[in-house]
Amino acid sequence: MLVKQISIFIPNVKGSLAKLTSILVKNNIDIRAISVFDTTEFGILRLVVDNPEETVSILTKEGIVAKISDVLAVEPEDKPGSLDEIFQILSDNDINIDYIYSYVMRMRELPYIVLKTDHMEKAAKILIERGIKVIQ
Amino acid sequence: MIWSNMETLDREAFRKIQLERLKKTVPRVYNNVPFYKKAFQEAGVEPGDIKTLEDVSKLPMTVKQDFRDNYPFGLFSSPQEEIVRFHASSGTTGKPTVVGYTRNDMDTWSECVARMVSMAGVTNKDTAQISFGYGLFTGALGLQQGLERIGASVIPMSSGNTKKQIMIMKDFRTTTLISTPSYALHMAEIAREMGVDPKTDLNLKFGLFGGEGSTEAMRNELIDSWGLFATENYGMSELIGPGVSGECEALCGMHINEDHFLPEIIDPKTGKVLGEGEVGELVITTITKEALPIIRYRTKDITSLHYEKCECGRTTVRMSKIQGRSDDMLILGGVNVFPSQIEEVLLNTEGIGPHYQIKVFKKGYLDKIEVDVELIDANLLDSFSLLEALRNTIKGRLRTVLGIDAKVTLLEPRSLARFEGKAQRVIDMRGAK
Ligand SMILES: [Zn+2]
Repeated sequence: MLVKQISIFIPNVKGSLAKLTSILVKNNIDIRAISVFDTTEFGILRLVVDNPEETVSILTKEGIVAKISDVLAVEPEDKPGSLDEIFQILSDNDINIDYIYSYVMRMRELPYIVLKTDHMEKAAKILIERGIKVIQ
Repeated sequence: MIWSNMETLDREAFRKIQLERLKKTVPRVYNNVPFYKKAFQEAGVEPGDIKTLEDVSKLPMTVKQDFRDNYPFGLFSSPQEEIVRFHASSGTTGKPTVVGYTRNDMDTWSECVARMVSMAGVTNKDTAQISFGYGLFTGALGLQQGLERIGASVIPMSSGNTKKQIMIMKDFRTTTLISTPSYALHMAEIAREMGVDPKTDLNLKFGLFGGEGSTEAMRNELIDSWGLFATENYGMSELIGPGVSGECEALCGMHINEDHFLPEIIDPKTGKVLGEGEVGELVITTITKEALPIIRYRTKDITSLHYEKCECGRTTVRMSKIQGRSDDMLILGGVNVFPSQIEEVLLNTEGIGPHYQIKVFKKGYLDKIEVDVELIDANLLDSFSLLEALRNTIKGRLRTVLGIDAKVTLLEPRSLARFEGKAQRVIDMRGAK
């Protein structure tokens, strides 16, 4: 019920993102979702790919610091307030969201939402109980 | 094992031999080297004034610039026909420092290195890979002669070509690695990249590190990387090369071969001689050399001397780990800092690698320092706050030694320079126009 995401360290050095994407292209790794959080000094890039273990081992060999972690991917319904509903449920259950980003799959109009919370298993269980569609 | 019975004499015997030898060296330089005759006259001292060991403090000091001013052979006490070997060290600017050896000097040198490698635990059962650069530098050949004297099997590998180093190390079952500490760290990294675990796939027992200063934190890093017993040794071409002093298995300072080298500690500012245990600049007079005896050479290295008998059984004086060089000392906003203090902080911080770069520059009238380190712990990628906490930890610890805030930059692994010889980790741009 959790999705595997890769976190990658991006130093604030010219060309570090380009270096990363060129490694991914060279190894035929498709990026399904990407998001960068940065400050002026460094960034953490989050990726969702098909083969996270293999990707991390390729990146590590290239001298890039990368790590796999579990995140929750949910599919909000196409109706007003659907995101609000998810956040309310989590908040009512004392679950904090560390960060959130979205990704679009081909053939779908609406994006999936990727969530990192402080209690991942509990969050997934509660959302499923409340009828929210969680990507398996 | 203790190689020579000259390492266990009592203090009075040492003093007697030292005075005898000093009394021979002083007239030798006075009569053969115009530079010394002039320096003695300017200091108002004559060879006959040396009556006790303490009288050495009356003699003029020699500095590195004197070698350059007398390039190439002006400081030599022996004519060319007695010289059997030259070496030279490259300065960063201008002419190299040239040194020469007579046949007896070569014997003295091999003897000093033989004692030093024996102190570190090496015996004729060992295979030693010398990964110092060969050529004009004294390091590689000096170690080679001493290791051959004790009967160890020498691989004269030289530095560089790191993958081949690892292959030879594996195939020849090398037990002893001779290199700079920074090159040894780099080699371990390449070995792991090649799928060779330096701890379990190789046969290394001893690491004899020299050619540059290092800290206890660096030693621990070397032990962790290689799983070997790491000792440090000390020397410089102006004095003889490697073999001036080295650590024994008790690891409590470096034993000086004091039947050949007479050490003093001085206050680097005033030149005043300091007492046992006091920290200052090491000054050495060579008392057996023929081709190039040097009077009171200012090494620029900051250390202290300890005379009590060592638990290893040797009675030779020990110099403590070099705290820094008086000319590497950084003055940041009026605070004296040695790069080794910064290294100690960085190497004791979890989550970052052992490589670093320090940049010092001026912004207006203020000194600024930037420290670049490599992030290695992927677990910190769970959140920004973990990365920021790491950076703040480094900043906070550096503040206690630097007295000012450093800009700390986290970089990817292997993005900083690696060194095959002496590391150049400090760039001071304050002198630049
Ligand atoms: Zn000892």
